Amino acid sequence: MKTISGKLEQDIAELKKMLPAEDILTFSFVSGEKLPFTVIFADPVTDKELLGEQVIRPLLHYAGKPSAKEVGKNITAPELRSEKTFDKLSAEILAGNPVLLWEGADEGLIVGTKKVFVRAIAEPPTDVTIKGPREGFIEDIKINSSLVRRRLKNPNLRIEMMQVGKQSETYVAVCFLEGITPQETVDAVKEKLQAIQIDVVADSSYLVHFLKDRKYSLMKQVGSTEKPDIFCAKIAEGRVGILVDGSPIALTVPYLLVEDFQACEDYYVPAARATFTRLLRIFALLVAIYLPAFYIAAQLFKLQLFPIKLLQTISGSIREIPLSPSLEMLLVLLVLEVLNEASIRMPKYVGMALSVVGALVLGETAVSAGFVSTPAIIIIAFSGIGLYAVPNLIEQTSVVRLAMLLAAGSVGTYGILLLTAFLLFKLVTAESFGAPLLSPFSPVIPHDMRDSLVKYNMGSLKTRPKTLKSKNKRRMKDA
Amino acid sequence: MKQPRKFLKSLPMKLYILLAAILTIVFFSNDFGLVDIQKTAVILAAGVDRTENGFHLTAQIGKPKGSDRSSCGTASVDVEGDGETISDCITEIYSKTGWVPKLIFCDLVLVGEDTAKEEVMGALGYFLRTEYMPDSCSVAVCKGTARDMLKSVSAIEDTTSAALGKLFSDAAKKSGKVMKQSLKKFAVDYYGASESSYLPYITSEPQDCGGESGGSEGPSSSNGGAAGSTGSAGGAGGGEESKPDKKIFKAEQTALFSKGKMTALLDSDQTFTFSLLKGNVEAGSFAVEDHGEPVTVSVLKNKGGADLKVENKPQVTLSVSVKVLLFDRGVPSPVEDLAKKELSKDAVEKSKQLLQEQITKLWNTCVEADCDLFHLTRSLYRSSPKKYAEWKELLLSTADLTVKATVESMQ
Amino acid sequence: MHKISTRQIYFFLAAIAPVGKIMLMPTQLAFFSKNDLLFPAVMNYFLQAGAVFLALLFASKNRTFYDALADTVGKAAAKIIVCLLALFFLYASILPLLEQKLYVQKTLYDTLPSPVTFFPFFLLSAYLCAKPIASLGRLWDILLPVSVVGYAGIMALSVSNADFGALMPVGISGAEGIFGGFAYSLSWFFDSALILALAGKFEYRKGMAWKGMLFYLAGGAAIVFFLAVFYGVYSDIALQQTFAFSEISKYFSGITVLGRIDYFFSFALVFVILFYGSLPLHAGVECVCNAFGDKRYLRIVLSVVVNVGLLVCVYLLNFKLYVTLQTVTKMLFWIFPVFCVLLPALCLLLKRRKHETAA
Repeated sequence: MKTISGKLEQDIAELKKMLPAEDILTFSFVSGEKLPFTVIFADPVTDKELLGEQVIRPLLHYAGKPSAKEVGKNITAPELRSEKTFDKLSAEILAGNPVLLWEGADEGLIVGTKKVFVRAIAEPPTDVTIKGPREGFIEDIKINSSLVRRRLKNPNLRIEMMQVGKQSETYVAVCFLEGITPQETVDAVKEKLQAIQIDVVADSSYLVHFLKDRKYSLMKQVGSTEKPDIFCAKIAEGRVGILVDGSPIALTVPYLLVEDFQACEDYYVPAARATFTRLLRIFALLVAIYLPAFYIAAQLFKLQLFPIKLLQTISGSIREIPLSPSLEMLLVLLVLEVLNEASIRMPKYVGMALSVVGALVLGETAVSAGFVSTPAIIIIAFSGIGLYAVPNLIEQTSVVRLAMLLAAGSVGTYGILLLTAFLLFKLVTAESFGAPLLSPFSPVIPHDMRDSLVKYNMGSLKTRPKTLKSKNKRRMKDA
Repeated sequence: MKQPRKFLKSLPMKLYILLAAILTIVFFSNDFGLVDIQKTAVILAAGVDRTENGFHLTAQIGKPKGSDRSSCGTASVDVEGDGETISDCITEIYSKTGWVPKLIFCDLVLVGEDTAKEEVMGALGYFLRTEYMPDSCSVAVCKGTARDMLKSVSAIEDTTSAALGKLFSDAAKKSGKVMKQSLKKFAVDYYGASESSYLPYITSEPQDCGGESGGSEGPSSSNGGAAGSTGSAGGAGGGEESKPDKKIFKAEQTALFSKGKMTALLDSDQTFTFSLLKGNVEAGSFAVEDHGEPVTVSVLKNKGGADLKVENKPQVTLSVSVKVLLFDRGVPSPVEDLAKKELSKDAVEKSKQLLQEQITKLWNTCVEADCDLFHLTRSLYRSSPKKYAEWKELLLSTADLTVKATVESMQ
Repeated sequence: MHKISTRQIYFFLAAIAPVGKIMLMPTQLAFFSKNDLLFPAVMNYFLQAGAVFLALLFASKNRTFYDALADTVGKAAAKIIVCLLALFFLYASILPLLEQKLYVQKTLYDTLPSPVTFFPFFLLSAYLCAKPIASLGRLWDILLPVSVVGYAGIMALSVSNADFGALMPVGISGAEGIFGGFAYSLSWFFDSALILALAGKFEYRKGMAWKGMLFYLAGGAAIVFFLAVFYGVYSDIALQQTFAFSEISKYFSGITVLGRIDYFFSFALVFVILFYGSLPLHAGVECVCNAFGDKRYLRIVLSVVVNVGLLVCVYLLNFKLYVTLQTVTKMLFWIFPVFCVLLPALCLLLKRRKHETAA
């Protein structure tokens, strides 16, 4: 690897050769003792004001030796490092840290005057709470790390940085509590991250694929959150957290399915209320997945599932509908998915108008025109709302719902049972970094059930979840 | 070696895709037990009458409600079929109408009086045998033919089957006025050691002239509309009637059966007594005299039973215990009396006597009809098969009856 | 691959194994033994519990059936015996499969559908059989509450309509009836053979044989109670009632108001039966894989062959259903005690380990 020669012109030429882009600029000045200095920096990502104040101005009167140590003493920037190799120097320039070279330099000085464009810390849109903290992660890994540090003021909190992505060299922080998180899990995570051979890591979800055991599985195997309080709580339980520069979504492993039924608010409200809302979420999700399927299965294969009066009402409603019940339900479901997708993508200004059109067209006009029946609309609407009771699983559950519908429309109730059996088997055999996905239900861990479908009060949660095999089991002492 | 491994590795994904494709094709094209609801005749009630050549089945088929909520509620159409067996009748209905008849919602099987007198199990056997009919449905005998009964228009409900179904509600059972019977229970009694059972006996009477109709205008059975399709229904009776008579249905009488044949009829008092002996009554009432004045006594709690002991001779004890309170007087009462619920001693005594008389009368009717209504033969069979073999034919005719009636007035 | 835990074995014995006996066995017993149907059931349960005890005792060696056999009779003979056991499992699976097929056609559809509606079961079964049998352990953790809820719901809705007096008089069907019922219901009791197939897949703990037997008897007690309620509800027409567990609770008075909520509970039991139905096939595949090397491709091929074979068999037997049931339960019932009672007993004679006998 090439290192600095000490000849300023030569070194600048070498760096310019490595960084030919036009936005890599140089600024040359001469100190009081006629010692020439040059600063090489990336224009878009360097804070030039700081550069001038902390680097250039102090050196204008420099009269010392041309050694990095002596020159460094005159620079007022708190973040200052030295490097000899051009590879590292060029990487730092691209990262937004200018490099200072001078005639006779033994090393180049890297100054931490990066200009960071970040948005303000705000409530994350994917995880809204009524009661509880409203901070959310943002795209800058350093600020995200600071949010974590603020909540876990523990010397054992390790935030180990690594770079992933051949072209993007994205910073990835692996966070864990030493002494609590099992070392095997940490090592497994690091090993998987280091093995990633990808060009660009645009978001944390890119890493999810590599962290999963079953690459093509629909099931979630890596947890995610946008909230630092949840992130810290998960780390404190014995998980490993992963922050990715440029992404506000933090990842946590091992992942348990029951996590997505736990909202952060459950820990801020009384236990009875938390239990009720958790059971409600499960109920809503089950109804959302199974109601359209059972409706179709009943209508096509087993009328007896309906009470007679309901059957007569449904029969009257579908009398003039041209489509078969399964096609009708599929059509309404697809329209709902399209509306869903469009409502996320459309500009805010037309959102209101299109929402009204969607509601009117689907809700009123389609029924009046006899394209779809009222029960189908009601069922799909309820199903659509029910899925969002557990928003973290929306990607999986919407596909499962569609599959259930296909199974019900083809084979009937038996098809629903078979597909459920298949999914259950997949879930019970899935693991995430050694932790069974359906824990604490399969395998049964009675202790961990205190914070699963039901929630005991805080005083009962004295130990960490046994599934995570934490070294330090106790998290609360008796009062 | 590497190629098979590669193939096996990619096999699951290929299989899943193939399966999804097959499922999608099946979804769009299947006919594996598919039920087209528009071509289905949901039979709400079935009426069976014997004919010279077999059976005549009247099926009351439910029509879907309109999606417009302001229109009528349940509507129905009656379709008839003939055949040597009930199954033949249903096949004829199918061939006449083109609808697939479904008995899964059939909540009532009505047997005509003449059919019941001949042999009822021949008519009910099909409903018991078929797997697609719930045997929890109600069964009843009606006066005249089942056809006429089902075709009559109810004054209180849109369909006759709904009106008849109301007769067998839990509230009616608790009043003691109606003895509901299900197909399963009737079959168990028929095939059991007693070979005796009962069925409610339905009668109809015209709604009083000048009275307001209790329900909405029910559809005329001459209407040819059918479940889910237009076009006339085969066999729908009635011509251009200007206004059919509306009927009120009653099931206060009970038909007794011995070996599958109807042998006697219990009047309303006997039916009530039978209910008391079964311990069914929780909100019933009966009339009695209190110092020469008529009073109505309400039964709040009721226990009853039949006990059999066989030593040298069968000894039958029929016992009833009721807790009652004063419900109404036939003459004006002073205001202090209005709050009183307690029966006088005279009324209690009279109630006791009345009950004893009714029980004796009921027992005599059973003996005359050779109907082991209290399943004494079965009890004997269960307790002592030896004695059963000895007494099974003679039990009813030779048994000594003891009646115990206890009336306790609430205070 | 992780092993099945002892708790999961207990769950299987208490809540999964009994569920396979509520479909047609009650009708069979009612036909032969009438109101004495509890006696043959209790007899069968005690016999099978003893066999389960013996099978668990064999499992204390912590070796597979094949390994233990190979050490005693040599590899060739062991392979033959294991293949025979696998064939037995395929034979034993015919009854549960036909029961399930009948049930699906009768109860899950309004009109008798084409037999093709049952065939997707073999897709699921093929998938399950391609996985190591130890992966079923965690499944049983989930199936236990499903089974318990389904059973409890059905019982709660039907007990009030049962006339337990119908079980009297005791002994009226005589020795012929009782022993006839006992013999002709043996075909449903092959759980001890399943334990043999699971040997070596779970870690034996001290006292497991006794505890397993007790759990099995507990499950048996639940089934005996079900039989009592079944006969109490249907009495003299019980012999005509097939798949009574999904009909027995419809007489509850609340059903008329709420609709058929009892289907929720019977679907829960059918869900458990789905897995129980594929278990003999899985056990058969597992036995052969233990004998011929547990390679992934062998497992997959066997699984596909077995399931396709049985699919064809079920299709061909579609119109010979009752003859098949008669053959399996009446004519060839004696095969079951050979593999399910005699074999576990003989297993105790197998050597523990080669080095233990080399003295």
